[in-house]
Amino acid sequence: MSSSPNALCFGYELPASGAPCLVRFGGQGLTVTFASESMAGRSEEVPFTALSVSVGGLDHDQLVLKWIGDRGERALYLKDADLIRSFRRSAPEQLHVPFERAAELARLVRRRRRMVWGVVAGVVLALSAGLWRGGDLLVALAVERIPPEWEQKLGESAYKDFLARQDIVREGPAVSAVQEMTRRLVEQIPNNPYKFEVTVVKSDVVNAFALPGGYIVVFTGLMKKATGAEEVAGVLSHELNHVLQRHGLERIVKRLGLVAAASIVFGDQQGLAGLMKQFGVELMTLKFGREQETEADLTGLQLLYQARIDPSGMIGFFERLSEKDEGRMEWLSTHPMSQGRAERLKAELAAMPKLSPVPFTFEWAAVRASLGVSPPAEP
Amino acid sequence: MRSEILYPGAFPMVRVELAAGEQIKAESGAMVGASPTIDVESKMEGGFLGALSRKLLTGEKFFFQTLRAGRGPGEVLLAPTVPGEIVILELDGVNEYMVQKDGFLAGADTISIESKMQSFTRGLMGGEGFFILKIGGKGTLILNSFGAIHRIDLKPDQEYIVDNSHMVAWSATTSYNIERASSGWMASFTSGEGFVCRFRGPGVVYIQSRNPGGFGAWIRQFIPVSE
Ligand SMILES: [Zn+2]
Repeated sequence: MSSSPNALCFGYELPASGAPCLVRFGGQGLTVTFASESMAGRSEEVPFTALSVSVGGLDHDQLVLKWIGDRGERALYLKDADLIRSFRRSAPEQLHVPFERAAELARLVRRRRRMVWGVVAGVVLALSAGLWRGGDLLVALAVERIPPEWEQKLGESAYKDFLARQDIVREGPAVSAVQEMTRRLVEQIPNNPYKFEVTVVKSDVVNAFALPGGYIVVFTGLMKKATGAEEVAGVLSHELNHVLQRHGLERIVKRLGLVAAASIVFGDQQGLAGLMKQFGVELMTLKFGREQETEADLTGLQLLYQARIDPSGMIGFFERLSEKDEGRMEWLSTHPMSQGRAERLKAELAAMPKLSPVPFTFEWAAVRASLGVSPPAEP
Repeated sequence: MRSEILYPGAFPMVRVELAAGEQIKAESGAMVGASPTIDVESKMEGGFLGALSRKLLTGEKFFFQTLRAGRGPGEVLLAPTVPGEIVILELDGVNEYMVQKDGFLAGADTISIESKMQSFTRGLMGGEGFFILKIGGKGTLILNSFGAIHRIDLKPDQEYIVDNSHMVAWSATTSYNIERASSGWMASFTSGEGFVCRFRGPGVVYIQSRNPGGFGAWIRQFIPVSE
């Protein structure tokens, strides 16, 4: 007779990892004989009438028998197939129904897991077989399924992470100017799901960026470079539209690939953070695509127009940015400048009815002076 | 095989004494030193496909090494790559543990190591990837952690919530679900990702006191960004 343990017994005074024991089924019930040295030889007899049956364990692949004994609640975890068969043979009629229900649940879990993996594999195969348009569709579907508040969490953590290492301008003319511009623009967005937040960071970098969820950073370097408030407002409008069109999310999902997209569509969209970590995707270095730039340009132009801010500032600024030797133009590293971007905007603007701009309440020269730019270097 | 932890604490090492002919499995690259009687064989655990899937899907090094006292008794010194504690478990043939891919350091030849695909959601959201190691059989299992190892004992149906990047190993009788942290939890968990594992007993959960991802992020802030 073999006496090596075939099950684990859990209970109040037993070790948390379970006491290895030998379980045998008889006509009336089961016998548990503990195997560990400290309790060697001790055994407990439990009648079938005292047992409740369920499944447990990480994979729902263990049969769990519970009862209330002299020493409180006991749980027995069985995974040995022979032992489970033996239970089924000896268990009385009244335990058959709960046993079958438990077995059905275990099968269901296994089947569902196989199905999910099957769907994922199928989607990946179908897409890698050359159906790339389907891929784009999948990315769009996936992005649509990510709720804005989740997107906000994602952006917020990257934003806080970034700002923790920066020299933030907390008050003064530059901050109030940027806030006024943002307010003017955001007021014009219908059904805005985002709570836009803008921070001015002291740095000579000529850049501004927007993170998913509406977190925007403007560097003083960009403000110093701008000869008018409308130019900065143009960049802000462009950035706001990257957020509104969810371009960041599109990039992330694209970068993570089709498995991620499929999982977000078919399963849970919360897996994104885990995947981003696994694949080392960094929000800060995400580069937008050409179509996304065009989209942000055109919708940005519309937004400026609705806010009655002169869009020619934006166009002029883009033109100057595309002239190579303008120093450190980081903005271009994440917003690729394509030929004719400014021309496209000019044509678009020409087609719009003439605008009578509403001026800002601040003097741009004063804002620049507060940043240490001596006025006026250029017209 | 007889094993002993040297220098317990942040920078420990394990000395494993092997009788003539005895062998152990060790994470490749874990060997620090050995008696001249020890031979190193690279064996593909679970066959070529098993090894390949481990490589591709868990990011695990391609092979486990087999260290064999082929020419008489001897000893081996093993150490993990990262600073952190080592824990030695004795598997009794019934207990099985799920081990996160970086948690395995070494084990007796009699233990079985199987890389297991877990549920899609767990794989996607948990910090440990789509594959984890299921380790069973009878013999010594040596785990390592990043930081200190903390053991949590769970009675049947008792629950405990752990940040997903701090998991090292847990009993196969313990189930877990990945959940989004409620906003209250969010702030206190170190990964800042907002994902936690809700473990449900019975069983034992080993967690590590440091989070590799968080540590990486902390290090990165000191590295100057190149143009
Ligand atoms: Zn852009």
